[in-house]
Amino acid sequence: MEKLRGKRIIIAKPGLDGHDAGAKIIALTLRDAGANVIYTGLRKTPDYIARVVIDEDADALGLSILSGSHNALVAATFESLRKFGGEDIKVFVGGTIPASDHETLKQLGVVAIYTAEMKLDHVVASLAEHLGVTQGGHER
Amino acid sequence: MNAEDLRWRRQLARELTIRARAPTREVMSASLSFGGKARRIGITGPPGAGKSSLIALLAKQWTERPSKVGVLAVDPTSPLSGGSLLGDRIRMDEISANSNLFIRSLPSGNTSDGLCPNILSLLDAFDEAAFDHVILETVGVGQVSYQAKALVDTFVVVLVPESGDTVQAMKAGILELADIYVVNKADLPAAAKIAAELRSIALWRGRNESWVPPVILTSATDNRGASELSDAIASHRKASLTEERMAALAIARREYLLRTLLLGQIDELLARNRTELQHLPLAESLRALIAGLGSGADVTSKSR
Repeated sequence: MEKLRGKRIIIAKPGLDGHDAGAKIIALTLRDAGANVIYTGLRKTPDYIARVVIDEDADALGLSILSGSHNALVAATFESLRKFGGEDIKVFVGGTIPASDHETLKQLGVVAIYTAEMKLDHVVASLAEHLGVTQGGHER
Repeated sequence: MNAEDLRWRRQLARELTIRARAPTREVMSASLSFGGKARRIGITGPPGAGKSSLIALLAKQWTERPSKVGVLAVDPTSPLSGGSLLGDRIRMDEISANSNLFIRSLPSGNTSDGLCPNILSLLDAFDEAAFDHVILETVGVGQVSYQAKALVDTFVVVLVPESGDTVQAMKAGILELADIYVVNKADLPAAAKIAAELRSIALWRGRNESWVPPVILTSATDNRGASELSDAIASHRKASLTEERMAALAIARREYLLRTLLLGQIDELLARNRTELQHLPLAESLRALIAGLGSGADVTSKSR
């Protein structure tokens, strides 16, 4: 259903990996849940991503990382967000993230981690919860 | 980016969100300028014509001057989910670190004219933030985006060699409205042919008008045509910026606003009365709806 109606969500790919099939699937899933999804394209720097967060006044930021450098890239992205004053945004991470790193990412401020084996419905429901959506959402 | 840049940037970003979501009654109580300091440039054309890449070329020129450039890039809202996938930024990558540039991606929402809800008040926000240029990129529709013409000072129609012959575009009526024609992807072989066709259309249109729309060939791959396009926009502005035209534009923008507000109310009324309207004969439904628009009352079976 349209749980994320009216929410502005950025899907970004920091770092050097060049695979965005997963990011695109998440982008389409969130769109189908009613969100306005802004996709940045491949290989973006943390500063670039933080700047997009500010300009687009987004509610959530999804970082798709398959390179294995997630700990460093997520830390750098939070640093850029703080520099630009965008640290209030909800950050979630997707990709190949070993369970042993989940705690580290959460410590950095990540609200949720979504990996490939998760059901897409679960991703939508979990994000809706993090964004404080109660029933269906009402904003345009 | 310095602290001052960040301050106005965050303020503008927030303001745009508020305005984009404002309900009808707030739009009506806000005071709109219908045109201020920032030059308004509209870019329209079929999907894949390269509108976003072209905007990147223009914005690069202008931000380096330096001048402040705002971009409102509209992408379609899914009629099924109400969601959208906004990807125009990707094409503006090279320049997007420039602190003189501000890009906002917008969903077309419930509109069907290639624009988005409350577009006039969004454009005004760039005047208030002291921008020099604001570029409005419509949804890639081509056949319905003529509404955008009234909202901007200069209306640029982008075509590509692979759009086929110009008859397609002539049918759409969009060619009669262009202040400037752009043939993008001019590195493709058929570019000269479509440019020649457009030139003859431009001459035909110019027979009764002082402004003959120029035809500019551009190509983002070899950075071609950006300064010509920028010059053409400046010349058009010079040629058309008469008091008479500005007054006519203000009237057209006011009318556009009233029309969108009215259509918005019609949509709200229809959605609210979906069930009731099933049970009334067509003529009565229409009568009840028209009455409802005036009084704000819902349709009831009593309106029989």
